[in-house]
Amino acid sequence: MDTAKPVQTSHREKSLLQIKRLANPVAYGILYSFLIVVAAFQIYPIVWLFLFSLKNNQEIFNTSPFSLPTQPKWENYVKVWIEGNIGQYFFNSVLYTVSAVVLTVLLASMVTFAITRMRWKASQPVLGLFMIGLMIPVHSTLIPLFDTFTKTNLIDSPLSIILSYTAFNLPITIMILLGFYEALPREVEEAAVMDGATIHHIFFRLTLPMTSPVIATTAIINMIYNWNEFVFVNTFISSDTYKTLTVGIQNFIGQYTTDWGAIGATLMISILPILIAFFLLSNRIVEGITAGSVKG
Amino acid sequence: MNQVMANKKVIFLYVAPALLLVLVLVYIPIVLTGYYGLMKWDGIGEMEFIGLKNYKDLIQDHLFWDSVYHSFLLALFSALSLIGYLMISIILAGNIKGADLLRKIYLIPMLLASVVIAQLWMKIYHPSNGILNHILMKLGVVDPPSWLADPRFTLFAIIIPVIWQYAGFYILIYYAALKNIPEEIVEAAKIDGATPFQIATRIKLPLIKSVIIVTIVLAVVGSLKYFDLIYIMTGGGPNGASEVMASYMYNQAFKGFNFGYASAVGFFLLLICLVATYLIRKLAATGQDTPS
Amino acid sequence: MIKKAYFFLLASVLVVSLALTGCSKGAENESGSGKVIKFMHLWPAGSSKQHHMIVEEIIKEFESEHPGVRVEVEVLENEQYKNKIKVLSSSNKLPDVGFTWAAGYLKPFAKGNLFAPLDDVLQDGLKDDFVKGTTEAYAVDGKTYGLPLELNIAPIYYNKKIFKENNLEVPKTYEEFQHVVKTLESKGISPIALGNKDAWTGSLWYMYLADRIGGPKVLNQAIDRSGSFENPALVSAAEEIQKLVKANAFNKGFNGLSNDEAKSEFLNGKAGMYLMGTWELPNFTTNEEIPQDFRDQSGYFKFPTVKDGKGDIDSWVGGPGVGLFVAQNSEVKEESKKFVKFFIEKWGEQSVTKAGVIPATKVDTDKLDLPKLYIDVLNDLNQASNITLFADVQMSPSVAETHLNLIQSLYGNEIKPKDYAKQHETALKNEEN
Repeated sequence: MDTAKPVQTSHREKSLLQIKRLANPVAYGILYSFLIVVAAFQIYPIVWLFLFSLKNNQEIFNTSPFSLPTQPKWENYVKVWIEGNIGQYFFNSVLYTVSAVVLTVLLASMVTFAITRMRWKASQPVLGLFMIGLMIPVHSTLIPLFDTFTKTNLIDSPLSIILSYTAFNLPITIMILLGFYEALPREVEEAAVMDGATIHHIFFRLTLPMTSPVIATTAIINMIYNWNEFVFVNTFISSDTYKTLTVGIQNFIGQYTTDWGAIGATLMISILPILIAFFLLSNRIVEGITAGSVKG
Repeated sequence: MNQVMANKKVIFLYVAPALLLVLVLVYIPIVLTGYYGLMKWDGIGEMEFIGLKNYKDLIQDHLFWDSVYHSFLLALFSALSLIGYLMISIILAGNIKGADLLRKIYLIPMLLASVVIAQLWMKIYHPSNGILNHILMKLGVVDPPSWLADPRFTLFAIIIPVIWQYAGFYILIYYAALKNIPEEIVEAAKIDGATPFQIATRIKLPLIKSVIIVTIVLAVVGSLKYFDLIYIMTGGGPNGASEVMASYMYNQAFKGFNFGYASAVGFFLLLICLVATYLIRKLAATGQDTPS
Repeated sequence: MIKKAYFFLLASVLVVSLALTGCSKGAENESGSGKVIKFMHLWPAGSSKQHHMIVEEIIKEFESEHPGVRVEVEVLENEQYKNKIKVLSSSNKLPDVGFTWAAGYLKPFAKGNLFAPLDDVLQDGLKDDFVKGTTEAYAVDGKTYGLPLELNIAPIYYNKKIFKENNLEVPKTYEEFQHVVKTLESKGISPIALGNKDAWTGSLWYMYLADRIGGPKVLNQAIDRSGSFENPALVSAAEEIQKLVKANAFNKGFNGLSNDEAKSEFLNGKAGMYLMGTWELPNFTTNEEIPQDFRDQSGYFKFPTVKDGKGDIDSWVGGPGVGLFVAQNSEVKEESKKFVKFFIEKWGEQSVTKAGVIPATKVDTDKLDLPKLYIDVLNDLNQASNITLFADVQMSPSVAETHLNLIQSLYGNEIKPKDYAKQHETALKNEEN
């Protein structure tokens, strides 16, 4: 995988040594090949989709799905970009995703902090209120939500989307945070209280940085959810200028569909940003961990 | 300490905005779903109050109970698959070579929209030129099954991509949790001569127990209300063989125009999720010696 | 300092959101000097390019002929379109003009007083333009609530090359048809491409058998309750379906394949026959994405007659497709009706040549340069002794759901023909009460 990388660090060598010393090399080999098989299994769709996006209909239907496109049809991408109003959709997707992720992670962190760290009688019932949000199937909320947004004049407004994403992702975000907050040592905060720090100081300066790995994790999860969501956008937004990339994709994959290569290209265009964002953010996790362990 | 951490004003400030959002955008739909469940309503004309009739019909509706059974099967397999994810995460978190890259690769299916995943797996399962049957025929199977058409296999043929889709999600959470464990604890155990297996089961697992419980709840609740792939790949068919609660609700509401009845299904689904969550937490609590 | 940051954040979220909502409302006011017709359709540029283009042109023309009126368009893909209409109608917020389907789909909207009767538009000279019998499918209690844009019949398309290679003739009788099936099957070619995941596809075969065995009225009467679904003809049609399944007449795994997947098998020469609506005609004539030699070798034939059956060969399954509705509570009802009339007229002129759609309005074949297959279909349409509307469209949405599920289990051999008929009867009966 990354054999091309320069010589391993001593740290790595040490841990490799540890594993080799502690585990049977055969078992280690089996484990490794298992991991790689799983990885191949997981990465195949992207490869498949990429090949798919460069083929025309005949190739897609007549040749093996493993085969390479005879002549890559890059024009599929050009076509989609020109016809699909992608630029605007793309901007909207980024706007909604980022706003909702920031809002969700911040609000969820505050709630989780209040529930796990502060003392108040209603904390468990309030937690329960959030949890129930996890259990409601999205399609049964559409009609009531549409009504609510119409009455508050938020229909066909980006705000309805951002707020919905936030409200519906808060429960799962709080839940994931909860597991980590409970495992987080309290000594640092207790010491800070002794030193007379305010709660805001503790939350923003101590707890938030300490939880940065899990914040990155929840941010990724939120990002994925929001980026791929389309039921809400389709229902609450009617102006073309406010629609998102996923809706654009849906409009390519209709009942009267013929141009499969173009669909593939649209899908690739929609995945790339999230892929890049993910690889960047996911490095943040590792950095966060190392930073955390240095401090700790 | 007590005083600082019990500041009512701050608590309000921290909880109120999120709570308000959830109350308005999640609870209004829940309450209205319960309300519509008491109505005979096609979603278009006038509503007619019929009391608990929808729920009575629900109890006698074998299609609905089939869908409940399918949902529970999905939940069971999703929960079981967590063991596999956990194992992979423990190996990955053991500082092995390429762990970081592998972990990222595992998450890739999660990044894809459900439409893409469904397209992909429909290609894999295609009865005559699908990848799976290609391989099976090469291995000498004469007449491999039509995975999405044969009621005996359909549900399992969908459970596999669902598990596959969410692998990265849970590995991401477990990995972060495992990395959160202070190095010193593990080091100390190693010095005491613990084997990697012992370190994993006796030290690491108990330490991330709260995270594990959270993931079990997420997996079970998420499965019970699962919709996407089932809807795109089979629409619940053939003849209900892969129908789950959420797809049944959707078909009733948006295809059959039985909005009142669909709301009753939705409300029932909510109750089932609540009971499931309660039971999981209860079971977890009984196994816990020292509550934090 | 941190407190400040917190409030700054909240404030900025608030400001951004206000700005966003402000934008949307502002934009509306700016151009709101004239009247605005909100129009929703289901032909996105991505998947129905030709349709989409015609719609755009019609709107442009309409706007230039009616200064002060603006048409605001929202386009959704089929499935999402249906969902959104459902949500919109629950709060009575339908667009001024939109698409609907006939009969069973339309009925709740008409009864719920959401659609405006369009009889005045019809009387305004439009009536004679329509092919006889098309607008009737949109009538509820004597009033017409939708004006159709398409008219389709469902022939059996076949691959001439495959037929020739196997010395097969176009079957005129069901026995000949069975011979075709048997021959192709023995040669290892799928006789029929069927994507029965969507179930209405399998319903077409069943409907034809019911028609050929019991005549054009049996199924209609079972559905409109002047007859029964347990009619022997409807049961034996179901038996025939299971015989076909047993004879491997359909491609492998048809119950798990979508119509698109099945279609692609036929388009790629992997199956001999394919029963589908005439909306597929472009794929056999003008669609450049399909190789020329395939298009040259495709033809169609009428569903063969059954020995001692009551149906004749000129009876078709088909009917009007999507139609336009005007919302009852529209604030621009008059303009909307004008728009609908304008749309129907222009659509009738352009749709067949530009998009290959057979409109529900009359087409003058002499004036147009059309592929031969179109001329044939249009002639057959003129000679049709009867067109039976698609069963799932005739039925109410809830019974249609039952019907489609039962079709799947019939094809899957999970149900006996007798029980199949009986369960239909029960569902239809329950609906009556």
